[in-house]
Amino acid sequence: MAELKINGKSINVEVEGGMPLLWVLRDELNMTGTKYGCGVSSCGACTVMIDGVATRSCVVPVATAVGKEIKTIEGISPDGELTAVQQAWIEHQVPQCGYCQSGMIMAAEALLDKIPAPTDEDINAEMTNICRCGTFQRVRSAIHSAAKLRANQSEMLG
Amino acid sequence: MANQDKKSKKGKWGRRAFIVTGGLVGGGLVIGVGGNIYVSNQIKKFSGKGFNKGDSVMNAWVSIAPDNTITVAVPRAEMGQGVYTSLPMLVAEELEVDVNKIKVFHPQPESPYANTTFLAGGPRDVHKGLSVIEKIASFMNIVGTGGSTTIVDGFGTYRAAGATARVALVRAAAEKWGVQEGDCYAEDGHVINKSTKEKLSYGDLAVAASSIEVSEVPAFKAQKDFKVIGKPIARLDVPEKVTGTAEFGIDVRPEGVLFAAIKHPEHLAGVITSIDNITEVEALPGVKKVVMLADGKGVAVIADNTWRAKNATLTLEVTEDSKASEGLSSASISQKMKSIIDNDEMIATPEDEGDVEGIFGKEGVKIIESVYEVPYLAQATMEPLNCTVLVDGEKAKIWVGHQFPSMAKSKVEEITGATDVEIHVTYLGGGFGRRAELDFVEKSAEVAAAMPGVPVQLSYTREEDMRYGMYRPTATSKFKAVVAADGTISAWENKMALQSVMNNSMLRMMPSQAPKPKDDIMTIEGAAHLPYAMDNRKVAFGHLDVPVQVGNWRSVGSSQNGWFTEAFMDECATAAGQDPYLFRKSKLGAFPRFEAVLDKVAEISGWKNPKEEGVFMGIALHKSFGSIVGEVAKIRDLGDKKIAIEEFFCVIDCGRIVNPDTVEAQMQSGIVYGLSAAMYGKITIGGGKIIEGNFPEYEMVRMNVSPQMTVHIMEVDEYPGGVGEPGTPPAAPALTNAIYAATGDRVRELPLVKSGYTFV
Repeated sequence: MAELKINGKSINVEVEGGMPLLWVLRDELNMTGTKYGCGVSSCGACTVMIDGVATRSCVVPVATAVGKEIKTIEGISPDGELTAVQQAWIEHQVPQCGYCQSGMIMAAEALLDKIPAPTDEDINAEMTNICRCGTFQRVRSAIHSAAKLRANQSEMLG
Repeated sequence: MANQDKKSKKGKWGRRAFIVTGGLVGGGLVIGVGGNIYVSNQIKKFSGKGFNKGDSVMNAWVSIAPDNTITVAVPRAEMGQGVYTSLPMLVAEELEVDVNKIKVFHPQPESPYANTTFLAGGPRDVHKGLSVIEKIASFMNIVGTGGSTTIVDGFGTYRAAGATARVALVRAAAEKWGVQEGDCYAEDGHVINKSTKEKLSYGDLAVAASSIEVSEVPAFKAQKDFKVIGKPIARLDVPEKVTGTAEFGIDVRPEGVLFAAIKHPEHLAGVITSIDNITEVEALPGVKKVVMLADGKGVAVIADNTWRAKNATLTLEVTEDSKASEGLSSASISQKMKSIIDNDEMIATPEDEGDVEGIFGKEGVKIIESVYEVPYLAQATMEPLNCTVLVDGEKAKIWVGHQFPSMAKSKVEEITGATDVEIHVTYLGGGFGRRAELDFVEKSAEVAAAMPGVPVQLSYTREEDMRYGMYRPTATSKFKAVVAADGTISAWENKMALQSVMNNSMLRMMPSQAPKPKDDIMTIEGAAHLPYAMDNRKVAFGHLDVPVQVGNWRSVGSSQNGWFTEAFMDECATAAGQDPYLFRKSKLGAFPRFEAVLDKVAEISGWKNPKEEGVFMGIALHKSFGSIVGEVAKIRDLGDKKIAIEEFFCVIDCGRIVNPDTVEAQMQSGIVYGLSAAMYGKITIGGGKIIEGNFPEYEMVRMNVSPQMTVHIMEVDEYPGGVGEPGTPPAAPALTNAIYAATGDRVRELPLVKSGYTFV
């Protein structure tokens, strides 16, 4: 039995410690927003944040996530108010098939937490997820927009 | 009226409206589509399943709730190409409602929803009713998505659905007010009385309107009056796709669902003959059952968690018969293709104009000769293949993201014997042709049948998905041409060798309908009937017979033929000593739409302008699926075969535009898909097995190498063409032509990484 902290809530799961976090989320907890794409940490469809760091959950044994803050796509806008990244994603009409987009958005959230105003080079370095529909150009534009939105929001709060 | 004459002769099912009325959901079977005479009413029936209870169903496509909510049935796969928005846009235009308020659902694959374009080869004229071949398509219940046909097929149907519902609503209002139909008009979800300015909402009129029969499809709006068509409309599916709530096949969680993984034979055309450790595997944690699939095509493990099921499949010890692919390798296949061409073992000559041999035989002519080759490719949808099935006696339920739900449903009926089958089509995490196949549905049905009463979700791991493929065929083209001093192409010959996609895939799915390889027109898609003026031309192909499954891959024949022909055109331009753009342009006099696209892409790319040092361009032009696309690649040569693809310019003529933002997105998507194949894509065979199993070995374009793309959409008042695929074919030739311009290296085999190129 392991106690996980997911999206601010404590959740008990009864699985072997070696089970990747991805499969705990998807098949034990029915939190299917986080996607399976490759299982080898290559595509990024399963990206979640662990203690604020974008992490590919398909290779994270659940035992190693115990005691850490896990945040999934379901947890970034719990009250229905979309984040700057999600708003920018809609503004730029980023998704096509949409399957990779949960992971893409989580990677973008983590990038902007780390680098509030990323350059194109920063985006190239940090956004390594695969999108088979090829939405990269719109992802890039949306990240730049989201950075501005976030800056405006914090100005208003500040 | 001609219609009534026929009606009187043939009685009840005389030539009537294309669309007649519906009724209230729950009131039994509703009639959806009219049709011509000489056809049973079978093709007009639909169950209404999926429409909300209490809604008034206006026809097979549209229902209206008392609160004025409009629901539209979209029987096409939403796999990223935006059809859950573009088809409702067509309804909204004629129905006079706000497209943003439309709710969409995926109906059962029933006859009214047939994609008749697949059989008829072109759009239907809804004002004339169905042609014989369209009736056959409806009767065969071909409900599917592919070949970039959704808008081609639906441009009339969905406007008819909206227009017919609108007329019924207006008539209902007129009756209520006791005025003439012409005294009322529809606007923004309401019918308005012209003289009194009274208003009734569609929701108030829907019950009465749903029993009014509109016997003729009303005339459509003129283009100048469009409020929705041609406007960039935000996609209806995007909000769900940014919150992680969009449901893909792999996300369905019906109560009590179990998860299955599969081990396929490791060899191509291999057969698993026995499982040697069933007892041990069934004792593993979470494992419920090991299932041997029919004909030894795989072994599935059902467990309570996908990961446990997958781990269990990795411990399976099986015996496999691998004779069919003994000695098979990419090298042996390549050799075989070359020998088919060298020995002139052509099975069909779809194009033979003039006398190419006569020109080649002339004394002193300079013949250019080149051999091109492409490898097998996987579609590699981001969502690995999966299907969930519940078998419960006579009943079965399917949850799947599929391009052909009608075939998927029939397959489950066939496998399980169930007679009452419902299919729930989810979003598709990419299709690209792979989700038109039935293998994953068939296996899922077999697995679920072994666990009656329990829904079972079978998903392939990425490795099983990639290694058990229905690949884009490997292909070779050998070109011979004579280019005169003035640049005229005196002779053009293209001899190809490859497997037939149609023959191969239809033998799997509908054997009775499988064309012979020589009759598969997709083989020469984009290779024959080129728009360029040529004095003599010949295109022929030979059949490669190897035990590798091939299937549809975004843009199908054009995916290789676009590259082959446009790369070789560039060679012809070089031979003529002419600019590649002007060389092509000089041969397009008979095809002004092609010429206009080519001119435009040259213009927006600044083709004629002086370039920065180290910057080069390549151009390509290709028509597929009814749309003409021109692309220019702008690259920076960093030396030592290191290339930066800085920009791509794209111009499309797809006729009338439905949603320009979607057209732009599909061009961007098609370019990236084509570039991934050109730069990195290869499925290799060694020792009868597929080598690549996951993304690190099957690399694709990521953010760091994705170019900046500029898309221009031509305004052309012609019937719409497709947009899902046409962006792909010109990407590879534009890139390799730019590489030639930069380096003088004419790469004739893809992917480019195989020739030592790297990309930054």
